[in-house]
Amino acid sequence: MGYKKLVKDVLDAGRSHLLEPEAYHVCDEYGITYPQFKYVSNVKDGIDAAKSIGFPVVIKVVSPQIIHKTDAGGIVTGIQSEEQFINAYDTMLDNVRNRVPAAEINGVLVQKAMPKGVEVAVGGLRDPQFGPVVMFGAGGILIEVLQDVSFRLARLDKEEALRQIKDTKIFRILQGVRQNEPCNIEALADLIVHAGNLLVETPEIGELDFNPVLAYPDRCVVVDARIILSSETV
Amino acid sequence: MSVTSQVPKGSLNGLFNAKSMAIVGASPNRDKPGNQVIRYAKAMDFDGQIYPVNPTQTAIEGLKCYKNIMDIPGRLDLVVLIVGADECVKIAQEIARRRDEKGDIAGIVVVSGGFSEGGSAKGLAKEKAMLEPLQARGIRVIGPNCLGIADQYSGVNTTFDVPPYLKGGVSVVSQSSAIAASFLTWAKDMELIGLSKFFTVGNMADVGVDEALEFLGEDENTKVIALYMEGIRQGRRFVEVAQKVSQTKPVVAFKSGRTAFGSGAARSHTGAVAGNDKIYDGAFRQAGIIRATTIAEFYYTVCAMGKQPLPRGNRICVLTVIGGPGTICIDALLATGVVEMARLSDNTKAHLRKILAPTAVVGEPQGYVDMTASVTKEMHEEIVKTILADEGVDGLIYLNTPPPFLGDEKLVESFLKAYNFFPEEERKPLLCVFTFGSNVAELRRLFERGGIPTMEFPDVAASVMANMVQYSEWRKFTKKAFLSRFNIFMKGGSNNGL
Repeated sequence: MGYKKLVKDVLDAGRSHLLEPEAYHVCDEYGITYPQFKYVSNVKDGIDAAKSIGFPVVIKVVSPQIIHKTDAGGIVTGIQSEEQFINAYDTMLDNVRNRVPAAEINGVLVQKAMPKGVEVAVGGLRDPQFGPVVMFGAGGILIEVLQDVSFRLARLDKEEALRQIKDTKIFRILQGVRQNEPCNIEALADLIVHAGNLLVETPEIGELDFNPVLAYPDRCVVVDARIILSSETV
Repeated sequence: MSVTSQVPKGSLNGLFNAKSMAIVGASPNRDKPGNQVIRYAKAMDFDGQIYPVNPTQTAIEGLKCYKNIMDIPGRLDLVVLIVGADECVKIAQEIARRRDEKGDIAGIVVVSGGFSEGGSAKGLAKEKAMLEPLQARGIRVIGPNCLGIADQYSGVNTTFDVPPYLKGGVSVVSQSSAIAASFLTWAKDMELIGLSKFFTVGNMADVGVDEALEFLGEDENTKVIALYMEGIRQGRRFVEVAQKVSQTKPVVAFKSGRTAFGSGAARSHTGAVAGNDKIYDGAFRQAGIIRATTIAEFYYTVCAMGKQPLPRGNRICVLTVIGGPGTICIDALLATGVVEMARLSDNTKAHLRKILAPTAVVGEPQGYVDMTASVTKEMHEEIVKTILADEGVDGLIYLNTPPPFLGDEKLVESFLKAYNFFPEEERKPLLCVFTFGSNVAELRRLFERGGIPTMEFPDVAASVMANMVQYSEWRKFTKKAFLSRFNIFMKGGSNNGL
């Protein structure tokens, strides 16, 4: 299924954001990489998925009502074994049901846990004055506190994306401090360019967040993708 | 990006190069703006016709007065309105009628307020009603609610706040008439800038900041553009235009309303951190616009860029006679994160030590020379020349509390000899800081006339130099980016540049 049709179907269903597996489907179209995952609806399939992906894994709740999974208790990281998996699966769903009783739970995403990397964020939105803009900055939970971010109008090319990255303080960390190896900044620039293209080419997308994006010496990986649709297009 | 200019090119030329202008609301009372406009228009070096319009008068300020627009003989290019908003709506129809009958009037400037600026539905309706017959005929409207325009080269002046000004390469575009007039008046006495065009846009009912910028970008008398803005409607077109203009001339901007109002309702992290100002910041960087963060930095960056060449690199030397301000300047330079202190060559250092008193400090810390108070006028010439000649130096900031025993003319002469020793294409930016403010006005005027910018604050000079460095880097970047995009294009790849 083409991603445009997917987006249309989601809008027709009256939903305002893509489920995480759907967001990854969109990523595929733009060559945006994310950790291997399987989408399951029961604990048994979940264990099979974890075994085939290989421990450690992360599990995340998939629900049309939940955008911020951490706040809803809908993420468990660092699951090392089958035993831990069973425990984590049940606990997570209980937590979600307690915190967001109205949430309809479609399933659970079992995803390969990624090694430590530099956490950055790439995002985008439609600004009333400037139209589609892309953001780059320090990611993870730091984003809203530090606000170490820089914007550009989409589309933009790789050279401009590199300038955008250089506007931020996290750039210095990406270059490698102390004994840390430098990250692949070019790969991040490509991701920004792709995010910009996605936003320009898909007017239905109102806001998007790739946060965190883990930057490594050889590549970068989108660890969580959030795509919010909007019926009003700017 | 698909936004293109909807306006036929050159349509603002008819206003700035008007050969005749009517002032509706002209007044015999010297306390009224409607009188001041006439006097300033007359005071300019303008060889066209000025027609006061006022039904109750026969002559104003020695000029024959007309009862209405239709009575004015010959060709009429520009009309200035300084009457109430309701009256403006009526006169707009009269202007339209004249256009239909005589085919003249390129545009109008509406000084009057009482339109959309107050945010009332009534004001907005009046603005629309005034605009409608004019826009339908391609008559351009500047304002309402603005001082209008002034051009030191054509001699057109519609303002009541900007008397004739020293000619030069600076043009000012402003959404606030007060800021634009303040800048010029502030800079006037010490001749910090020479003016080309003054362009206030007011409510931007028709002509907006983007079009003003595009127009000045093509104006050969404009070398640097000072832009004061509060907000824009067509952000994308603005960036597109600014990006083009910045490739040939610096656009220095001050944007007010920095306070973030990140929407609490935002659903993504990106939405929560966006805030309007951060997006402006990114847009400015993308367009190569130099964004000043304080008014002092804004004013002085324009002044310096109007007179000095761009630095070729980011290695700056600080030359001082006074320790404290010298240190402040270095602190401020390094805090920008843009500038490095210059590494003076061994030859330069040895030569400076030979000239200077033993108490002088040369190259400690790096890029810093404190000549101490024993320095003389002759020494200045040789020292400045030696530093500017050093290949490791891309720009120089000189700081002094000018001692009376040096003599104003002598110091200026020394500097100009050193500076002009180099052929124009080899010159590097040189900024002078005289910390005694207007007490050394005459000295500063002499430097300014010689083309060397002066300022009073060491930290402001540092920001100005950093802005020049950053802009110079952007120019190199766009040149390189253009070439690489061109190469991709030639190889048949895709070009997804902005």
